[in-house]
This record gives sequence, structure tokens and C-alpha cells, in this order.
Amino acid sequence: MGFADVLGSGKFVVTAEVSPPRGTDISGALAGARLLQGLVDAVNVTDNQRSMMRMSPIVLCHKLGEMGFETIMHMTCRDRNRLALQSDLLAAHALGIHNILAMSGDYPTMGDMPSTKPVFDLDSVQLLQLIEKMNNGSDFQDKPLDSPTSLCAGAVANPGARPLGPQLFKLNKKVLAKARFIQTQAVFDAAVFNEFADAARHTGIPIIAGIIPLRSAQNARFMNEKIPGVKIPDEAISRMEAAADPALEGMRIAAKTIADIRTNCQGIHIMPIGGHGNTRRLLEMCGLD
Amino acid sequence: MIITRPKPIKEILSMVEMFPDLSICVVGCGICARKIRTGGEAQVSMMTAQLQRSGLDVLDGKIVKHACSTESWDSLVEEYPALDKADMLLVMSCGAGVSLLGRISGKPVLPGLDTTSLGSALKDETLENFCVMCGDCNVGLYAGLCPKSGCPKSQVNGPCGGSIDGDCEVGERECIWAKIYEILESRGMLQLMDGIRPPVNHDRRL
Repeated sequence: MGFADVLGSGKFVVTAEVSPPRGTDISGALAGARLLQGLVDAVNVTDNQRSMMRMSPIVLCHKLGEMGFETIMHMTCRDRNRLALQSDLLAAHALGIHNILAMSGDYPTMGDMPSTKPVFDLDSVQLLQLIEKMNNGSDFQDKPLDSPTSLCAGAVANPGARPLGPQLFKLNKKVLAKARFIQTQAVFDAAVFNEFADAARHTGIPIIAGIIPLRSAQNARFMNEKIPGVKIPDEAISRMEAAADPALEGMRIAAKTIADIRTNCQGIHIMPIGGHGNTRRLLEMCGLD
Repeated sequence: MIITRPKPIKEILSMVEMFPDLSICVVGCGICARKIRTGGEAQVSMMTAQLQRSGLDVLDGKIVKHACSTESWDSLVEEYPALDKADMLLVMSCGAGVSLLGRISGKPVLPGLDTTSLGSALKDETLENFCVMCGDCNVGLYAGLCPKSGCPKSQVNGPCGGSIDGDCEVGERECIWAKIYEILESRGMLQLMDGIRPPVNHDRRL
């Protein structure tokens, strides 16, 4: 069953993120993904996340597909103009990749190649529109494709962005552009997430909440400072500081967040720091294993 | 107003080194660069002095009325003879001024500034990123604030997720979308944001 069907069934979904390598050897990424076997409905593969140069996610998605995983390939508008976006969508489809998470992408100055020319030829809404057109058998200029794609496109949103009004406006456009699901930025404040979910409910779109189990107080502070759109409350940072086993405390915080938002979303997406060694345990703590 | 920023002096010196033994005239521009104090009297005389201290043969420093617009090279020279005497011009104007003087002078020209955007000078404040000259203008739909220019990601359908408390995720700047939304909301015109906007038609720039 494909991810679109799982979503359609109303099941509470679990997805998890893996990153392509900074070199040619993908064995480490595949080994990391093996920890997720039997645990997740799909594996997300990132696209030069945080503007840090990595291998193309097409390759890793393809290899994970061969291992039996359903994959969600991230696609940013930062690194490709409309020609390249279409080429890569066709390539992904031909390799059996069925799900695309469309996003604008972090700005290049966030990453390890700050002098990069940012592309942003299309925005995330227009990328969703493009995917819908290709699914209907035409390219961005409405000229027929030799054969259509059949891609399930998701979009991203940040419940913590303020003011919320313009964010919701954009979310509505993503729904209008036929996004099938929304994956959110990491949630650390259940009240903030629930406010967003309430405001988005009228769209009827399934929301998958992003979860990052914290590893240390230091790492939480780093994320607050360096990751766009992430806002970890002081209370969580204090708990991490006081904890004898910070990694376990991070999982407890994550499990509590999941419990507090569970009725307001249709799934969670785990984005661990440094591998999936603890993902099974976290899902056990939430009764999601 | 064309927005320019000073180039680091090291960069200028290393450019000049590529043209050894040429005498130089520093040229400022009496319009934009003078107004925003990147290529006016003070900046031109400081540059002239700095290059002379580095042992370079700088004949003079002059501010032309407008570096990007003139009748002819001859008419410029009539007014500013130093321009003709020098072997090379270091032009402290926007890229248009550098290019025009390069085209009509028959001399090597070097840019003394970096040109970054179309903006504005409001009293003493320099406002950047008003326009990217996309050739496909619809700024009226955005409360007069162009998101193709004001948003580093050129988002035309709403803000990205990096808009926190009205600030942009890139550098020290406001999120233009927070501003656009605020103005349209206060005017009761949020419906202008309805519907999906197409991307820029880059064909129109050709």
C-alpha cells in the first residue's frame, strides 16, 4: 500500500527522516534506515537540508525502495529552476519514487556553501501545481508529457511562524494546489501546534507533526539559534539541563508532546539528531511501535 | 535609487594591480551614490587619498553629474578634463555608470562600488531591495511591496516557514510578507492575496 493509500485509510502514520551522505558511500545511510524497518509507514529523504551539500535524494530513495521502504523524497526550489524540477520529478517517478515533499528550502547562507546562487524560480505552491500538472499528463507550460507521473505531493508548514495569518494563507494555497498532506516543522510546544491544527482543520488536509527528540541542552540552544523556524521553549531547555540522562529526557519530552498533540494530527515525523538508534524506543514510549 | 555598497579597499587595490603603470581618475556620481554616501565628495576624496597613499598615480577625483547619463564623452571631458588625462577610471557609481563610462571613454574602467539592488533614499535612511527588475511587475497586488525583491526567496504566494515574529530568517531584515499581510489586512483587502500567483515570466526581460 502506498503512502497516499495509508493516509487515505485514516491510519495514524509514522514517518522518519534519513539524510544522504556527504560522499559516495551510501551504506551508512542504508544501515541507519534499517533501524526503521517495520516501524514506519515511509522514510523521508532530505534534499541538501539546511543548505548543506549532500548526495541527491533520488539515489537514496531508489535504494531504500529496493529494500522495501516507501519513501518521501524532499524537493526544494532552492537548487533547481523549473526545467530541473521537472527533470528530477520524471527521474524520481521512473525510479519508483511515489511521494514528494515540496518545499521552498532554507536559504543558502544557512549552510556550508553560503555564496551559492539561490534559484527559487518556483515557490513551493507553484511546485505543488507543477506536480499536479505532471500527474495530469502535462508539463509546466501545459504541453503533453509522453507519459504522466503519479506522485503524491506533500507540503510543509511551520506552526510556530508568526504572524500566523500569512502562514495560513499560504497553507490554503498549498491545499488549493493539491497538496495531499502537510508535514510540519519540529513541534516543541503542543499549545502552539494545537492552535495551528485548529486553524487548519477546515482544509481537511492530514497534518503530520515533526518531532525532534532533543539530545542535550546545548544542542537545543544550537537549534534555536541556527535552524530557521525552530523555537524550543526555555522550560524544555531547563529540563534538558537538569537531566541525568539528557537523551532519555529528550525522548520523554518528545513523547509528552506527541501525547498532547495526537488527537490534532494524523501522524508524526521523527527527525532525530544523529541517527535512529533511539527511534524504536521513542515509538514504544508512545505506544506507536 | 540604485543601491551601491563600498568595495573593500583590498579588493580595489588588487584590481588596480592588474593594470600596472596606468594613471587613474576616481569618478563619483552626483545622483544615487552621492545621495546614499557611497560615491559622493567625501567617499571620492577618501578613495583618492587612499590610493595615493598606496603609491598609485591618481591624477584627480571628480564627481560627475550623473555617471549613467550624458550627452557624449566629449561633453563630459569638457566639464571634467581630468577624466581624459587619466589612463583609467575608477568609477564610484552603480554598474550602469561604470558600464557607460567604459563604453564611451575608450579607457579601462574599474568598479569602485558593488551594486546590490533598486531601493530608495528616505531622508537619511537607505532602503534596499525594492525591485529586482524582473520585467514582469505586479507590485500593486502586494500593497506596493515587491516580494520578489523584498523576500530573499522571492516567494510570491506567501511567506516561507522562516518568518518568526515578523523577522526574516535571512540576515537582519523584516519579513516582507508579514508587512504585506499587515497592510492588506488593515485596508480590508486580503482578497488580493487569493488565488495562486504564477512565477515570473523571465522571457519578458529579453
